[in-house]
Amino acid sequence: MNATIAAQMTAADFLKLRRKRGTLIWALVLALAPVLIYFAVSALQHSSNPGKYGPAGGTHNFGDGLRFIALFTGPLAAVLIGVEAGTGDASAGVFRDLVVTGRSRLALFASRLPAALALCWLLMTLSYLLLIAGTFIFASGLPTPDTTLILNGLGFTLLATGAVCLVGVGLASLTTSKPAAITALIGWQLVVSPVIANIESLGSARKGLLSQALAHFSPVRVGDRGGTVTMSEGVAIVVVIVWIAVFLALGAWRTRTMDS
Amino acid sequence: MSTQVNDPAARQQGSALAIETRGLTKRFGERTAVDSVDLNVPRGSAFGFLGPNGAGKTTMIRMLLGLTHSSAGSASLLGHPVPAERAQALRGVGAIVEEPRFHPHLTGRENLRIVAAARGPEVRERIAPALARVGLADRAGEKVKKYSLGMRQRLGVARCLLADPQLLILDEPTNGLDPGGIQEFRLMIREMVEQEGRTVFLSSHLLDEVEKICDAAAIVDRGKVVTQGAIADLASGGGTAQHELILGVDDAELALSALGASELVREVHRSAEGLRVVLRGGPETAAAVNASLVGAGIGVLRLEPVRHSLEQRFLEITARLDASPEAEAERVKA
Repeated sequence: MNATIAAQMTAADFLKLRRKRGTLIWALVLALAPVLIYFAVSALQHSSNPGKYGPAGGTHNFGDGLRFIALFTGPLAAVLIGVEAGTGDASAGVFRDLVVTGRSRLALFASRLPAALALCWLLMTLSYLLLIAGTFIFASGLPTPDTTLILNGLGFTLLATGAVCLVGVGLASLTTSKPAAITALIGWQLVVSPVIANIESLGSARKGLLSQALAHFSPVRVGDRGGTVTMSEGVAIVVVIVWIAVFLALGAWRTRTMDS
Repeated sequence: MSTQVNDPAARQQGSALAIETRGLTKRFGERTAVDSVDLNVPRGSAFGFLGPNGAGKTTMIRMLLGLTHSSAGSASLLGHPVPAERAQALRGVGAIVEEPRFHPHLTGRENLRIVAAARGPEVRERIAPALARVGLADRAGEKVKKYSLGMRQRLGVARCLLADPQLLILDEPTNGLDPGGIQEFRLMIREMVEQEGRTVFLSSHLLDEVEKICDAAAIVDRGKVVTQGAIADLASGGGTAQHELILGVDDAELALSALGASELVREVHRSAEGLRVVLRGGPETAAAVNASLVGAGIGVLRLEPVRHSLEQRFLEITARLDASPEAEAERVKA
C-alpha cells in the first residue's frame, strides 16, 4: 500500500468520524464545556468576592485546568472518538464491503488510528487554546505560564488523550461493540483506575496504571486527585507503550481474523 | 484443487473460468453449511446460484470473497487462487453480500468515496459515472438513512461498479426492488454481460429471476450443488429428461389405444390440455408419433412439445431430495 492510498484511507476514516454528529457533539462538550464552566465559575466567584476568591486565570489556575482536561474530561472525549473509530465500520455493517475491495484487513485497521488521533487532537487543541485564553484573560496581574510551559502543557494534553484514544480504538476493534467498549473504558477511567491508585497496599503494582504513567509527564505538579504513584520516566514510558501496544495488537488481531 | 499454472499472469489470462471451486466446504461445528462444492462459472456469462433460503448460498459467497475461511477445498476467482492471491483476485471483483449496508450518516456519494479510497486513487473518478448508471446521480448528496431499500440496492450496485469489475458477485440483488426496478436491474445485468463482457454470479432463491437473467445456473440445496449447466439444459433435465408432448386429436379414445400400444411412447394420459404423451426417445420421436397417428387414421389437430421451466426442474429435484430416505434421515438428524 503506497502513501497516497494510506492518506486517502485515513481521510475517509476521518470523514466517517467528523460526520458522526452525536459522537462529535459529546466529544466537543467533554473537551470544551469543562474549561468554559471552570473559568465562568471562577470569574464569577472572583468578581463577587475578590477578597476570598483570587482571579480565575494565571499559572495556578492553568495547572488545575490542565490536569482537568488532560487527565479527566479529555480522556473521556478521547474514548468516545477512539471507540467510534474502532467500531464504526462493523456496527454499520460495511466492514465486509471494505474487505471485499481486497485491501488488507490490517491496512483497514491501521487507517483508523491516524484518523481518530487527528480528530481527538483537533478537539483537545481547541480545548487547550481555550484554557490558555482563559489563563491570560482572567490573570488580573497574576503570573502567567511562559512559552515552555505552554508548549509542554500542549504536549502533555495530546499525549494523555492520544494514548487513551489509541487504547479506545484497540479495545473497540477487539469487542466490535460500542456500548461495551465505552462502558469498560469510562468505567475504568472514572472508577476503577482511581480506586486502584488509592489502594496503597498495592504498592508499586500501581505503576502499571495508564493514568498514573501519563500523569508522570505533566509539566505541573499533579496533586492527590490526579496521581499518587511516583515512578521513573523510563517506567512511565514503558507502561504507556505497553498499554497502547497491547490494545492495538488485540484490535488488529480481531480485525484480521473475524468473520465479516 | 484450482487449476495449476506456474506463471500467475498466464494463469489469469488463460483461465476461461471466472469462478472455480473444488470440494469447497464450510462447517460450523457439526453442521455442514457448504458441502464439497465443485463449481465452474464461465467468463462472460450470467450465472445463477439458485437455492432455497438456508441452502448455503451466502456462506459460499462469503468464502469466495474471503469474508470467512473455508473448512476444506479450494477456490479461484478470475484465475487467482483465494485466499492465497485474494488481493489480486478482488481487484477485479465487485460484490454485494446480503443486504447492502452503508454508513447511514453519510451521503451516497460519501459512502462511495470511502470504498474508492480503499480501492485506489484512480477509482475516485468512477464515482460519478457509477451513480449515474444506477440512476442515483440526483440523490447522491442525500444521507443514506433517507434512502429506500431499493435505492440502497442501487447504491450497492454502484459500489460494485467502482471496481470496474470483470466479475460481479450479487447476493439476492433484487430484494426490495419494485417491479420496475427489477426490470431495470435485469436489463442492466444483461447489458453488463452482453455488451461489456463482464461475468455476473447471481445468487437467488427466485427461480423466475435466475431464469430470466442467467445463461447458466447451479442448483444448490442443503449445502450441495445438485446440478449445474445451461439454463435450457437444466430446465429440460439434460440427458436424463423426459420429453413430453401435448396432443390434440379428433378421436381421443382411438389415439389413447394406439399410443398405449406404441413402442415410441412410454406413457400417455388425458389432461386438461389434451393427451399428454411421454416419449421413449428424444424430441425427434415426436415426428414418428405424428406419422403413426396419421397412419392409424387419427386426425392430429395439435402437437406441442412441453416446455419445462426451471421452476419445474427445481421442484422435481428438491422433491426427489425430500423423498430420499438418506436425505430425510439427514434432515431429522440436523
